[in-house]
Amino acid sequence: MLEVLEAGLLDTIQDRGRPHHRHLGVPEGGAADSWSHAVANLLAGNDPAAAALEMTIVGPRMRALADITVALAGADLGARVEPGNRPLAPGRSVRLRAGDELVAAGRAAGGRGARAYLAVAGGIDVPVVLGSRSTCRAGSFGGVDGRPLRPGDVIHGGEPGGEPVDAWPAEPIAPHIADRDGTVVVRLIAHAGAGAARRVVGRRWTVTPASDRMGLRLDGDATPSEQPEVTSHGVVRGTVQVPPDGRPIVLLADHQPTGGYPVAGVVIAADLPALGQLAPGDGVRFVLVDLVEARAALEAQRAAWAATLDLLRADAAWHDLWRSAGA
Amino acid sequence: MSRSARPRLLPFGDSAVLVVLGEGVDPALNARARRIAAAVEAANRDDPRFGRPVAAYASVLVPVDPIDPGVPRAVEQLERLVEEADASPVGAADDDQQPPIDLPTRYGGPDGPDLDEVASSHGLRPTDVVELHASVVYRVYFLGFAPGFAYLGPLPSELVRPRLASPRPRVPAGSVGIAGEQTAVYPVDSPGGWRLIGRTRVRVWDPTSDPPALLLPGRRVRFVPARD
Repeated sequence: MLEVLEAGLLDTIQDRGRPHHRHLGVPEGGAADSWSHAVANLLAGNDPAAAALEMTIVGPRMRALADITVALAGADLGARVEPGNRPLAPGRSVRLRAGDELVAAGRAAGGRGARAYLAVAGGIDVPVVLGSRSTCRAGSFGGVDGRPLRPGDVIHGGEPGGEPVDAWPAEPIAPHIADRDGTVVVRLIAHAGAGAARRVVGRRWTVTPASDRMGLRLDGDATPSEQPEVTSHGVVRGTVQVPPDGRPIVLLADHQPTGGYPVAGVVIAADLPALGQLAPGDGVRFVLVDLVEARAALEAQRAAWAATLDLLRADAAWHDLWRSAGA
Repeated sequence: MSRSARPRLLPFGDSAVLVVLGEGVDPALNARARRIAAAVEAANRDDPRFGRPVAAYASVLVPVDPIDPGVPRAVEQLERLVEEADASPVGAADDDQQPPIDLPTRYGGPDGPDLDEVASSHGLRPTDVVELHASVVYRVYFLGFAPGFAYLGPLPSELVRPRLASPRPRVPAGSVGIAGEQTAVYPVDSPGGWRLIGRTRVRVWDPTSDPPALLLPGRRVRFVPARD
């Protein structure tokens, strides 16, 4: 159990979201960086889809009310365990003792990424609403009362399932962000008949502070348009909308299921986790790819994930062997 | 002319297909969209590779797994299904199996702070606006914007008003609003830019109910002037 002493910038409980109620106006929700969210859970010995705590830029201060194993993945938000000022780096798990405090004071200068995921052994235990434990702020349900965490909130872990893992044998943050060197390049499938795509590619955009879990709001060399709106239609995470002022909006986890702005294109599935790690001030560039390239990118990513899991299993087998021999 | 346009199936990124029937707010296009969505949903209900379709005014978004089937194969599979669903004439029978949902509504006063403005902008009295608004049997076009938020229409032309220039930071749940050619009920407290003419006590959104939304696509809805 963890008690929130000080809230971070935006701390919400997230799992994989609720994709089956969009037709009722319910955002899909879930972790903005699904990759790092899964890594944190696996480190904690959880199912990768378990509910975890998503922290943004500056995290909370929490006190362990009982001994509990936690794990961290995603951006390095300066997490430390007190007493002892022990750093908790993303890609690690740690056993907290009752009374320990965990604090994530914020991203260091020059750091990568925007969001970190804190997984708790057994997954975070909050009620399931519409098939998910994710926080839905638009409807004020899910997570902890459909809102970000506040001081006084207590997070409970569920029944621990698997064994925690000490360290993730790969980068514990979404691909793309791991090897970024300045501007992040994001791949886009152009939307049919879209002159809108031309207003978005071929230039560098900057993520503005108006960005949130509904979408990234970008600024840069914007081309205003005469076309104010199109007939509202269903949209998905990664949709790049171009409002009349020409400044793109890239939809994220909590986006409304329908939209009436012209669509330039949709970010490919392989690059969606990276979108969740873009912070205000970061640079973004869009390049157009086709469905063949998009598929190849996703298959390569899934292969890399499977290879990491193989490494983990090999480590676990070795760990078991060691313990059975020595214990 | 909307009847003559065949549905177009477009890739929408690598994880969805967008079926487009036309443009604009048109009850006939919307009925076709909802019927196609229902057919696709029924055909793929037990197939985890397809997500639940989302119908809007004149389109249906179908989420698909980006590897299996992937968008190109999904377009092939959906093309015939969509064509068949669209082929038969749209009958009133499809949508009107169930009775209209009546929403007792307190018009004006603190419940409808924009009622007077809507009235005067069209040279009407507030009571005319109430009578007009309550005289129509509306259709739920689709849900969006927020959980349980149903776009209802068609609104009589005498009541059409644009959204507020600046949204209110807080609109109470149950508020009945007008924007463009639509009317709607706010399902939860939220910021809102629609012009508020009344409020209903009926709860249109409850995440613990099944289904959680009261105003489902295709249902008919009436507003009934009430004292409380």
